[in-house]
Amino acid sequence: MKLDRRQLLALTGLGAASSVLAACGDAKTSSGPGTTTQDQLTKLLPAYTPNELVKADIPSVQGANGFFSNPAFLKYPANPVTTVTGVPGKGGNYTTMTPLWGAIPSASGNAYYAAVNKAIGATLKLQPADGNNYDKVLPTLFAGDKLPDWVQIPGWNMGNLGFADAVNKFADLGPYLSGDAIKAYPNLAAIPTSAWQCCIWNGKLFGLPVYYSGATIAGTLFHRKDILAKEGINPDDIKTPDDLAALGQQLTSASAGRWAFDDVFDAIGQIFKFPVDPNRWVIDEGGKIIHRWETPGLIEALNWYQTQAKAGHVHPDALADKTQDAKQRFWSGKVAITGDGPGAWKGDDAKSGKAANPSYERQAFKLLSTDGKPQIWMNPSAGMYSFLNAKLSGDQIKECLAIANYLAAPYGSKEYLTVNFGVEGTDYTMVDGNPVLTERGSKEVATTYQFLITPISPTTVIAGQTQVVKDYAAWEADMVKYAAKPAFYGMNVTEPAQYASINQPMVDLVKDIRFGRKPVSAYQEGLKTWKAQGGDQLRAFYEDIRSKYGTGQ
Amino acid sequence: MTALHEAPPALRPPDEKPVKKSRFKRDRSLLLMVIPAVLLLIVFNYVPMFGTATAFQRYSIYAGFWHSPWVGFETFRQLFSDPLFWSALGNTLMLSLVQLVFYFPIPIALALLLHSIMSTKIRTIVQSVVYLPHFFSWVLAVTIFQQMLGGAGALNQFLRQNGLGTFDAMTNPDTFALLVTSQVIWKEAGWGIIVFLAALAAIDTQLYEAAAADGAGRWRRLWHITLPGIRGVIVLMLVLRLGNVLTVGFEQMLIQRGAVGRDAAEVLDTYAYFYGVVNANFSLGAAASLFKGVLSLLFLLAANKIAHLLGEDGLYRR
Repeated sequence: MKLDRRQLLALTGLGAASSVLAACGDAKTSSGPGTTTQDQLTKLLPAYTPNELVKADIPSVQGANGFFSNPAFLKYPANPVTTVTGVPGKGGNYTTMTPLWGAIPSASGNAYYAAVNKAIGATLKLQPADGNNYDKVLPTLFAGDKLPDWVQIPGWNMGNLGFADAVNKFADLGPYLSGDAIKAYPNLAAIPTSAWQCCIWNGKLFGLPVYYSGATIAGTLFHRKDILAKEGINPDDIKTPDDLAALGQQLTSASAGRWAFDDVFDAIGQIFKFPVDPNRWVIDEGGKIIHRWETPGLIEALNWYQTQAKAGHVHPDALADKTQDAKQRFWSGKVAITGDGPGAWKGDDAKSGKAANPSYERQAFKLLSTDGKPQIWMNPSAGMYSFLNAKLSGDQIKECLAIANYLAAPYGSKEYLTVNFGVEGTDYTMVDGNPVLTERGSKEVATTYQFLITPISPTTVIAGQTQVVKDYAAWEADMVKYAAKPAFYGMNVTEPAQYASINQPMVDLVKDIRFGRKPVSAYQEGLKTWKAQGGDQLRAFYEDIRSKYGTGQ
Repeated sequence: MTALHEAPPALRPPDEKPVKKSRFKRDRSLLLMVIPAVLLLIVFNYVPMFGTATAFQRYSIYAGFWHSPWVGFETFRQLFSDPLFWSALGNTLMLSLVQLVFYFPIPIALALLLHSIMSTKIRTIVQSVVYLPHFFSWVLAVTIFQQMLGGAGALNQFLRQNGLGTFDAMTNPDTFALLVTSQVIWKEAGWGIIVFLAALAAIDTQLYEAAAADGAGRWRRLWHITLPGIRGVIVLMLVLRLGNVLTVGFEQMLIQRGAVGRDAAEVLDTYAYFYGVVNANFSLGAAASLFKGVLSLLFLLAANKIAHLLGEDGLYRR
């Protein structure tokens, strides 16, 4: 299974499924909680100068709490604009490292790499590394002081790095980008403030945001519309967990090899209102800061899920924790309802699904709720960030930022085509007004440069699947109406190292319960241990953050 | 007459030095061949051993080995007070024991069986077939088991379609020990017979002929010639296995931990992985591994001692 760059937002969800948030480093070197006061932020944040080149076919829709849906485009402009004059680079050589989910392209004879390096006027030596094991590679790079010049780190891989300490290895970009300084890089200036805010640790601007939007979420519930239609089910009628449970019965036909659900536990977090990774803390009605493990919704969700698992409505492979095959199960119709990141709902998914079954149609349910009041906790605007090595000189940093300015060229520009598709005729051709990768292109073009920095992510036609764009944009416009901020939203808090290990037993326990290996009643005992082993102290730590820095609302 | 019993000068052991020299001369090419392996061993096995010192530190990847503070046995105190660690140790020993009882005799039996097949053609075919799974990765092996025995696997779908009850062997914590042992048998037993086959080949066939001439049947020959002939190798393999008693397939456990849960599948190696690497408490991971290493060494020495007491060579000749 190859993940495309556009499935990126899905990765936040993937990370959520596997990552374990923890902090590390020892007390001596710790630089504090990582977060930054509002006053400091105001001084640090770059000035925002939007530069939308093309009018969106489906414009962005404003949602709740400042969130907004992505603009969608049905056709690439016939005459792309140039946003960068001259060549940004000065012939420098830089090593980069980015995660990659999928086959790593060969660097030798790669026309796409050559084309982009030529266009940016510098040699970026790309070293993509397996995204699934990225969090195991990073600590050794830090420990061995072998960081590349330009490295990307996903937010969900920061937990075991003690990030307030890790950033000291990176260049402070504040002097180059804060306030009006950013105007030297117009495409960077068009990055919205909410994305820059995610890039600040310890009162300094360190990161460059990658794949950000006003509608970043961990994941949601998807269904096979074609299968539901055959059973006479209208997805819009599904509004509560009970409705969903009824589908469990109706859609499962084990002897025919079909089950209603894949492992949808994280996806039902939205329905039962418990936060899923990277979000952990929320504020309850009484104003108390509570962890995911303490939310009442979590126990309801465990009850709901265990009932489904025991009734045989969840695919057995999902109950055997074989998450990596979830997409295949969905494509082949072995499950009718699955949970995934929103990035899973893209043109290439439709292409893969239709290859298995021509009537394949993925759709997302409109947000469900227990009480008729749906709500969804949003992820930080950017889920990934890239960093420049602190060892680079001022001139080198400027060169890299000029390159970043090229890579961040918006949709509708010439540069965007080069960065995302390479050379026309070699790596891509225009089909019905949209770029489509050629066979060579699909081998050479992987998410590499794009993982260093991106323009604000638009919704675009992939693999010629126009209808998917329309459906997705409509769903997202509806979703953002219910958007809410969890506690400490986008604040980059680094938890003290000693609480690193208390999370793992809870992750294991929740899995035991939802897969039906332990009764739901076993939960309270685990929670008590969690609190005693540091959960309550961790809350006190966050109380302190709340009083000094607020809760990011 | 005494002169007759005196060895001729050429056979008399010469002085120490010339022996070493001549032996070196004789073994020169062998020693040269061994150098790369020794270098690898030094670089990848001995040098990293110094890393276990982090078990006595509060290791930080930013402070590094040289600047992380020393905390003595603090990490070990933390380790030994963690009930999850003891449960992991318990699982490790239990799984090891089950594998020792059910897995260890299989390659021996298979080797005896293969040895008794006369047709070399059939022997080669059987041998190739049972070898093959050894070259599969654990991911693939577990996937094959999932496809066969899983809740949606071939067996259960067949049962379901015929209106019979199903049994999900892949997610049942109670039968997990048997599951992993059968996986090990399927994957490794074929590979394990090689060393026993070699030992069997070394037995002088004249012994069999003589015994047969004396009227010994198949079982008598097996009992009085074959088994004594490979006893040394069996004991050696057993000693080595005991030295590895705390190592029960890290990958195999890691892949299936989610399917049966921590309580059944957490072993020392996965514990060190989750609490050491995943949660970035490298000192704790190092402490758990050091504990495992020391214990394994003790097991190995004890098993070797017992082998010597039983009059076998064990790891080395005394």
